[in-house]
Amino acid sequence: MTASLFQHVQIIDPASNTNMVGECLVEQGRISQLSDQSGSIKAPKDATIINGNGKALIPGLVDMRVQSCHPGAIHKETPLTLARAAARGGITSIVCLPNTNPVLDDPEMLKSQCQMLAGLSEPLKALKVYAYGAATSGLDGESMAELGLLADGGAVGFTNADHSISNSLTMRRVLSYAAMLSQPVIQHAEDPILAANGEMHEGEHSMRLGLRGIPDAVEEIVIARDLSLLRMTGGHYHVAHISTAKGIALIRAAKAEGLKVTCDTAPPYALLNDIAVRDYDSRYRLSPPLRHEDDRLAVLDGLADGTIDAVASDHTPQDRDAKSLPFGLAEVGYSGLETLLALMLSLYHGGTLSLMQVVALISHHPAQILGLNAGQIRLDAPADLTLLDLNKSWQIRGEKFASLSGTTPFEGAPVQGTVLGTWVDGIRIYEAG
Amino acid sequence: MSVDITSVMGMNTSQPPYLASDPMGASALPNKHLLGIEGLNRPTITSLLDRANQFADLPAREQLSHLKGITVFTIFFENSTRTRVSFDLAARKMGASVVNVPVATSSIKKGESLIDTAVTLNAMHPDILVMRHHNSGASLLLSKYVNAAVINAGDGRHEHPTQALLDALTIRRRVGYIEGLNIAICGDIANSRVARSNIHLLSILGANIRVISPTTLVPTHITEMGVELYHDMEEGLQGTDIVMLLRLQQERMQGAETPSQREYFRRYGLTREKLSLANPKALIMHPGPMNRGVEISSELADDVERSLITAQVEMGVAIRMACLEALAFGLTKPDQRNMK
Repeated sequence: MTASLFQHVQIIDPASNTNMVGECLVEQGRISQLSDQSGSIKAPKDATIINGNGKALIPGLVDMRVQSCHPGAIHKETPLTLARAAARGGITSIVCLPNTNPVLDDPEMLKSQCQMLAGLSEPLKALKVYAYGAATSGLDGESMAELGLLADGGAVGFTNADHSISNSLTMRRVLSYAAMLSQPVIQHAEDPILAANGEMHEGEHSMRLGLRGIPDAVEEIVIARDLSLLRMTGGHYHVAHISTAKGIALIRAAKAEGLKVTCDTAPPYALLNDIAVRDYDSRYRLSPPLRHEDDRLAVLDGLADGTIDAVASDHTPQDRDAKSLPFGLAEVGYSGLETLLALMLSLYHGGTLSLMQVVALISHHPAQILGLNAGQIRLDAPADLTLLDLNKSWQIRGEKFASLSGTTPFEGAPVQGTVLGTWVDGIRIYEAG
Repeated sequence: MSVDITSVMGMNTSQPPYLASDPMGASALPNKHLLGIEGLNRPTITSLLDRANQFADLPAREQLSHLKGITVFTIFFENSTRTRVSFDLAARKMGASVVNVPVATSSIKKGESLIDTAVTLNAMHPDILVMRHHNSGASLLLSKYVNAAVINAGDGRHEHPTQALLDALTIRRRVGYIEGLNIAICGDIANSRVARSNIHLLSILGANIRVISPTTLVPTHITEMGVELYHDMEEGLQGTDIVMLLRLQQERMQGAETPSQREYFRRYGLTREKLSLANPKALIMHPGPMNRGVEISSELADDVERSLITAQVEMGVAIRMACLEALAFGLTKPDQRNMK
């Protein structure tokens, strides 16, 4: 494997709180030298020299919530388009949800999910694919899946994907068993009965639009119950795509109490609110739904004070047919891999978060939550790296996505921050054209 | 405050001259489609009501030719008798050709999407599409895929603009004015498109709207629409001039959103006794179809002195004539459309 030397780059590493202009040498897929002096690292003979021109070098993004659509829905996304989209987005590790068809409730299915890029050509196959095991068999929400075997098969956590584990007894047992296995339980916190047939956030806009509301209490109820269970079972509880002020307040309190609790959100909940639905545009049909402006502000506060640990793309590809329907009939979700980094950088450019915070939320923290050896620029770490121009602007256009799904609630939005290159284990998987 | 519409419009003359000849008396709607009341302004609404008022005074067998050559498609994804027949009749009276697209027996039931249906129908070059659909926002979606003008004949729980217009016309013709009236809208507000359209329209025309509903049938934030909210019907009816009842769907009566039919009638069914708390000449309206003994006592429903229910149906045709005409007036010529 050839070596690569990154010269004149701004190295940003949240784990060590490093922000320095310097050099980084990659050999054998690992970071072998770091320096804050220009010209101090001697390039090996065969090394590829990358002149960063002062651009930022950050840990490759770790996206902890991705729907791969493979197997079962490759008309929405194929392994190839998924990998291309991730690489363009500066993402070096993805963690897939188990709601494929068939479901990842079997260790062999899970292993095959993690191997789904094996058939691709170099270099894209280098992208790292992890997966959560199904918390319950067939995601039925009732009977515990083979958590131990799934863990042995490489599961990095357990979840019922886009549904809550709503049976309290099942949830208690899953939490308890996962604690024994030292694995996190990832919860989509939404009381399914209270949310029944809901179409958008319940509030003034749902009332005016005549759309059935999903009250913010659906999240609060599930988190509050789960925290009660967690006090009995111990273990690590993680709330996915948290979206309400009430939910965030509970997580904040639980952390203060000393419970092992983490949570993530996704860019729409930090950047959009329920007013976006006003024309029944199905691009804004998401789960959880876009919330009230007060909730959005609470998400920003949670990101700023560390209550929210991570941000995932929540990549949920949908084909046009699934979205070309009246709002209430359209599928939820959007294509998120290619916009995660730029959208999060908008919080840095807008002054809400520091650059270090943004990078930590999308690389170091998710890796830490799931125990992945990723998300850091340090000696001997895997050379999963993203080189980007922090300031170069572009416009989000779904039709230009590498993903098979071009549906985005950010269609037309101007953003700042362009990925120039993505490396996994020192292998360049993306180069800006 | 009372405005005598009849004298302003000269509606009692036997044959308004502008209806006898070709030039159209109506002005086009500001938008190409009629998707809802929200967003319409008072002059537009008033001109539609004025025009419909003229149509309402025409002899029953009068056949007009204002919409000669215009093709109207009605497509109802939800069952409807009165609204569909009303649109059909209105279009025919105006001289338009009408095609009632059957949904139950068509490919739509076979899983064809709304957009595919729209594209297919669009290829037949209808001028006006009248659609009812069970999803809120469906008519807006349709309007993006067709060249025709779209009239929303009810979309989910969102709006039913022609119902609100016909209600307003009914009130205007009976009372003479709307400004300043106290109007109570009673019943299932949460699931009602009629309620939303009426709240918008009657507020624009200056009425004071109150909503009377059990807590489980009223959407949160309803007061943001500028209405007063009452849960006690007897309290809410005091001082009202118009009591507008809404239909309660059968499936909502049995313990889901309300405990039972008899409890609903006891608390929210309109009886002569409860009506006595309203203003002495208070009038009753209902968009139909009525559940006798649920929203209203049978005896009151048939009281011609107090009930405007039959008049509402009658005004439906006149309103729809005016709406069809206003949209047709704004249409580009067919040969221009074909060039696109």
